[in-house]
Amino acid sequence: MISTDDTSGGTPAAGPAPTPKDFRSPLKPIWCPGCGDYGVLNALYRALAAIGRPPHEIAFVSGIGCSSRIPGYTTAYGFNTVHGRALPIAQGIKLANPDLLVLAAGGDGDGFSIGGGHVPHAIRRNPDLTYIVMDNQVYGLTKGQVSPTSPRGTRARSAVYGSMEGPVNPLLYTLAYGAGFVAQGIPGDMDGLAAMIEEGIRYPGFAFINVQSPCVSFGDPENQVKVQRTRMRKLAAEGHDPSNRLRAMELAQDYGQELFTGVFYRNPNPPPTQGSQIKALQDERRALKAAATAA
Amino acid sequence: MNDLIIGMAGSGGDGIVSAGESLIGAVAQEGYYGMLTKSFGPQIRGGESSCRLRVATLPVLNPGGALDVAVVLDWDDFLRFGSELPVTADTVIIFEPKSGVDRTTLPLNGLWPKVMCGVPMEDMAMKTAGAQQAKNSVVLGLLAGWLGLSPDSLLAGLRKKFARKGDEILQGNERAFAAGLEHARRTPLGRNLRLDRPTAPAKKRIIADGNELCARGAIAAGCTFFGGYPITPATEIMQHLQRDIWEHGGVVLQAEDEIAGVGAALGASFAGKKAMTATSGPGLSLKTEMLGLASVTELPLVCVDVQRGGPSTGMPTKCEQADLFAAVFSAHGDTVRPVLAPSSVADTFSLTVEAFNLAEQYQTPVILLSDQELAQRKEIIAPVDASRVRVVNRLEPNAAELENYTRFRFTPSGISPLSHPGLKGGNYLAAGIEHDEHGAPTANGEVHGQMNNKRLVKFQPLRRRHDLFVLEGDPDSKLGIIAWGSVAGLALEALRTVRAEGLDARLLIPKLLYPIAEEVFAEFFAPLSRCIVFEQSHQGQLHRLIRMWVDVPKQFESYARSGANPITPEDIVTQIRTLSRSGTRKSRPVGADLLNPI
Repeated sequence: MISTDDTSGGTPAAGPAPTPKDFRSPLKPIWCPGCGDYGVLNALYRALAAIGRPPHEIAFVSGIGCSSRIPGYTTAYGFNTVHGRALPIAQGIKLANPDLLVLAAGGDGDGFSIGGGHVPHAIRRNPDLTYIVMDNQVYGLTKGQVSPTSPRGTRARSAVYGSMEGPVNPLLYTLAYGAGFVAQGIPGDMDGLAAMIEEGIRYPGFAFINVQSPCVSFGDPENQVKVQRTRMRKLAAEGHDPSNRLRAMELAQDYGQELFTGVFYRNPNPPPTQGSQIKALQDERRALKAAATAA
Repeated sequence: MNDLIIGMAGSGGDGIVSAGESLIGAVAQEGYYGMLTKSFGPQIRGGESSCRLRVATLPVLNPGGALDVAVVLDWDDFLRFGSELPVTADTVIIFEPKSGVDRTTLPLNGLWPKVMCGVPMEDMAMKTAGAQQAKNSVVLGLLAGWLGLSPDSLLAGLRKKFARKGDEILQGNERAFAAGLEHARRTPLGRNLRLDRPTAPAKKRIIADGNELCARGAIAAGCTFFGGYPITPATEIMQHLQRDIWEHGGVVLQAEDEIAGVGAALGASFAGKKAMTATSGPGLSLKTEMLGLASVTELPLVCVDVQRGGPSTGMPTKCEQADLFAAVFSAHGDTVRPVLAPSSVADTFSLTVEAFNLAEQYQTPVILLSDQELAQRKEIIAPVDASRVRVVNRLEPNAAELENYTRFRFTPSGISPLSHPGLKGGNYLAAGIEHDEHGAPTANGEVHGQMNNKRLVKFQPLRRRHDLFVLEGDPDSKLGIIAWGSVAGLALEALRTVRAEGLDARLLIPKLLYPIAEEVFAEFFAPLSRCIVFEQSHQGQLHRLIRMWVDVPKQFESYARSGANPITPEDIVTQIRTLSRSGTRKSRPVGADLLNPI
């Protein structure tokens, strides 16, 4: 479904449909060989090609971290901002030009630690944008410190005797705040991830996609791309009904234990987006002004 | 009298500020000029509140110093405002005898004003309106009588104010007003307070404060995005915009915090819109990283800082000019961003437009340093005309440039065309990370140096912006004075006073505070043998900033005072007189004010 007031996936441009290659920039990623983020990038190229909007109609915002380099590897308008602030900047872009397809991305530290305060507010405003978190349970760019999603007891350079904090649960947290679209994918399941990103973009409202994107250098060696593929449990295959929010929350409680992939929740009755409400208010105020001028 | 200062204080529920607003509305109707300054204790409701109204037949430049009339509903409340409501022996004191003080126990530190008039305002309110809250209407009646104001304009104001409260309350207040008026007619004060009639016929004027004019200036400049967070004393900018911006196709986002507010504004600017955020000191501290991002990505952004007392929470309701260093120097790295300061309430409108113009022209964040005084005092001024402002828009790439778009292309001016999402061919990566001409991340030292230079060289033309400075006084004078922000109006009046005495000085009011306009200052300083900078900060921040950049006169001094101890025109006059008579003043060593607080 494509909404009309907000763009979501929006209307594909006239002319030849873009291919995944059209979204590939000449910049070579700085990521380590074997990093999960390569898979996310390739899934994103495929999802954007399926949506069909040309690169110049896409604004792609990120924070700071390995994964936050991702906008530069696409041909979209990119904004690689400061640590933790992708969401406020992405919202400003979407509000300023609702016709754009707006994506935000970053790591788990960027999104749930330094930028954690922005997540609930982005969700409650319901801007029509898609937020992809590459969740690797570690700070990779600074070479291996515990992150907000690291399991308790994780040994890392910043916790040589093991971390004392439990992880945040990104899935349960976004569901509890009322996100209308919550999904989880892995780079090892390229088809599933690409489809999920496309679906998130098409959802008319705030869509959150958590990608378990392993860090090959500082992450858990027992939880890399290939292992994930064997551990993954597809929600669709488990018979999960994505319109059931409470069941989605039950499944989400197993974050860190079970590797569920697919759509946890898609609100069957999406509430009005921030953009549609603003447009209605702008139209109303303009009409009143025009009437006052005419009188 | 052609110039009168009234100060009033009471408890929060006494409606003393509301009385001040009624009064300024009435004098505006009658063709006077005026200025209303409100001051509150830190309490949310209740506590003490005060206002001072200066009414004159000519435009008012500042709230003035000592009061001509003090209306004291409660002495404890009044005295809490200290030097904000200064009383002299010539001040006419109108006080509520019930507040436990009589003539013999006046709590004014041995000061005995010649005219003391106890009026049982509370009893009069109870008798006429049956409610203490009508005290302020009694006050209005008293002042209308003693000042010779038309009761009609005040009554019209009362009717408007109480229209929605029902007839009973309105009529009670009308009776309270009449009782005050009658009391004034029957009770000569012993000093004539009657105002001269306005010299010119009443023209259409408006009553506005700086925050409102900032919001209106933003809309006039084409601002269609505001992101911000509530903070005293800047919140009204957001409130005005959220009422008016929608019909211009704009958006106001009350963000979850100061950082998100400026972040959303920067995002909107990236998307091609003119965007603003507004805050006060603590918010400026929080926004700093994002201002650096705006500098390195060369995106236009206006950030208003309505200064209040600092550091940290400081004194949120009091005025200070101590954020200058933060405005100029905060954010890491070798960045420069223009800092502008309006010098009057009316100026806030045009300086806000200028802030947008500089931001767009130079693709940079611009800080507009207002202050609590200018932001929140109401003035009777000529209407602002949004249709007459000059608006500058960012340089966009042309068709040929979009063929092979290079966002950060090196150019002689340092300014390169700026595209925005939606523009085909203009796709680029904006990044906080250092980048090459194409926007690709780099850690190459040579490119970094060239980019730093690009981001600095573009401000060269600002060094010659004479139009962002006001020069007054005798060009041949050897004595210079410098004042900025809300202190500028005090200096202007002081200059008028000393010129009437046959003394003279040269006054410079900078509205562009940074980058320091070296040419303008060098020309100003050339004929001077001495110069004083007057400002409301403890360290004398502008004084120090100028020394960093320009050769200053041999005697270059600072007259600086912490916030909430307002500098008065008399202070400045005294300094000029002393310097003119003695020929020289004992120069304070640099840093003395740090060791010996004023």
